[in-house]
Amino acid sequence: MLELDGLSRRYGDHLAVDEVSFTVPAGRMVGFVGGNGAGKTTTMRMIMGVLAPSAGQVRWDGEPVTRADRVRFGYMPEERGLYPKQPVLAQLTYLGQLHGMTQSSARQRSEELLTRFGLGERLTSKVETLSLGNQQRAQIIASVLGEPKMLVLDEPFSGLDPAAVDQMSELLREHTAAGTPVLFSSHQLDLVDRLCDSIVVLHGGRVVAEGTSEGLRASAPLRYRLVMTGDTGWVRGSTGVDVIDLDGPTALVQPEDEQTAERLLADAVARGGVREFSRIRPTLSEIYREVAA
Amino acid sequence: MSTRAPWTLVAAREIQVKLTDKNFLIGTGLTILLLLAVLVVPSFLGSSSADYDVAVTDDRGAAVVGEVDATLREQDEESSATAVRVADRDAAETAVLEGDVDAGLVAGDDRWELLSDGPDLGELQPLLTEQVRADALADNARTAGTTVEELTAGAEVGVVDVAEQEGGMPPVLAYVLGFAFAALFYFAAIMFGMQIANSVVEEKQSRIIEILAAKIPTRQLLLGKVLGNTVLAFGQLALIAAVSLVGMTFVDLDVALPGIAGAIAWYLPFFLLGFLALACVWAAAGALASRTEDLQQTTMPLTMVLVVLFIVGINLDGVARQVFSFVPVASTLVMPMRILEGDTQLWEPVLALALVVVFCALTIVLGSRLYERALLHTSGSLSWRKAMQLSKD
Repeated sequence: MLELDGLSRRYGDHLAVDEVSFTVPAGRMVGFVGGNGAGKTTTMRMIMGVLAPSAGQVRWDGEPVTRADRVRFGYMPEERGLYPKQPVLAQLTYLGQLHGMTQSSARQRSEELLTRFGLGERLTSKVETLSLGNQQRAQIIASVLGEPKMLVLDEPFSGLDPAAVDQMSELLREHTAAGTPVLFSSHQLDLVDRLCDSIVVLHGGRVVAEGTSEGLRASAPLRYRLVMTGDTGWVRGSTGVDVIDLDGPTALVQPEDEQTAERLLADAVARGGVREFSRIRPTLSEIYREVAA
Repeated sequence: MSTRAPWTLVAAREIQVKLTDKNFLIGTGLTILLLLAVLVVPSFLGSSSADYDVAVTDDRGAAVVGEVDATLREQDEESSATAVRVADRDAAETAVLEGDVDAGLVAGDDRWELLSDGPDLGELQPLLTEQVRADALADNARTAGTTVEELTAGAEVGVVDVAEQEGGMPPVLAYVLGFAFAALFYFAAIMFGMQIANSVVEEKQSRIIEILAAKIPTRQLLLGKVLGNTVLAFGQLALIAAVSLVGMTFVDLDVALPGIAGAIAWYLPFFLLGFLALACVWAAAGALASRTEDLQQTTMPLTMVLVVLFIVGINLDGVARQVFSFVPVASTLVMPMRILEGDTQLWEPVLALALVVVFCALTIVLGSRLYERALLHTSGSLSWRKAMQLSKD
């Protein structure tokens, strides 16, 4: 389990990351969401020890994380990179060795993964000759070499086509199934929604929301859409009901609780001509916009 | 032990990448070929031989040309001078102008004329005039009732090469070798120095540095890079030295081999330490840049220093040169030259080496500090001054 405790990073007067605390439990996939400049990359760099925190601590299984721990972390930085002029298999073998694998096992595992992701024919191709999508695959493979005990992936899916996203998420799921915690950041909120067990939303360097996507949705304000055959202007008079939007026969309302919602529905039915009364389940991006506003 | 220390992996990769780099292989191959050509080809060609035709109008002229021919053949079997009989001076002039002969030699009553097309007759002019003069001198001596030997007694000046007698190695050879040593170091320092800087910036530019920095300490990365390239530079030097030594046996220079072997034994530690003293600074220069395009700018101070040291090193004289031969890095250029010339006491190269070791330790500490500070700074190139001020993150 990875724990972040009050992690902060200051650049001069600018506080890029402000007392960020959250955990990535064993076997769970945590999505790290936030706009550009929210502090995701800075936080991940501090987890990996590439950047020193100004304050706070990163803990692994309850102890402050050490270099020995981090060598076993798989990392995919935001700034992508492999040696452009070195053949892809030789390069992954080298990275696997730096990861503590023997040359033969590093080579074997790299070849196996490259073949699995359709690069079996390109083992000796230089990285610069691969398409961007294939470079990205190689990059993800690099991060999972050597049975990492934690995966920290900065935007692993950007630039991948849907089929590749499925392949890569399957690979990540194999790791969570084996008990490895995975933290990945993404701008693709639907993807995060689909893949992650829980989500951490970062905004302006602070954690503004955290939890499972169900939990986040449940904590979102209670909203209903009411559609009638006639005008819905009457809802303005109902007590305990906030009208968010009103357009002739359609109204978007926010009752203060479930009882108020039931009373509102009873009123509507009494007036006659109810076509629709439905709970609005916010999408993750709506929740995100809400908290990051 | 199933896994290896990170720096050995880095060094191995550095070497392996270079050894599979076509440009490097072709470059080294061409250097070796060029070296062989310089050493071996002249011995096959021999010195250039010449065949001269000289127009003469009478037997006296023909006799002179005959004697010059003998002189030429004595120097070089392939050379010759041939007398071409013509009717008179006008015919000789025409033959010279039309290029049928190289020169014309016409005997007059009290003087000779050497006809040439243009002012430069090369070696033919002194040969012919000396011969005419010697013949005339002999004739005159005979007329005066004496001999040439009596006339020129006590006028001979012998030149004695003192340096050759004392140092054991011909000064020309010592100079050429010293220059070669200096040039080899100069080129290796720049070439492999740039290579170190390049491989550092390549990792910065391709951003792989973040993966590497997360996996292994940056000091291990630097160590592997510097040692890998030192092995390469030394390997290339060894190859060049071996080819040169073998090549020298082809060209009758092998008499000088014992002296050269001693000089090489001194040269190697100077080369190694001089190279190491700069290696970490080259790495820092690479780390200051964020793209290959910035390298020109960040490596400029280093390149300039090397150029200046090289030019000053091979041109200095006297005491200044002796002092210069103790200055770290410059000592690699100058001290081996002085050793070759045989004007050093044992303590001198020893002291110079000790100074390089101290300097080396300094640049390694300073260079690696700059390297580590600048390494993850990926936006734009840094100045040396700014990098010194960077707080260590």
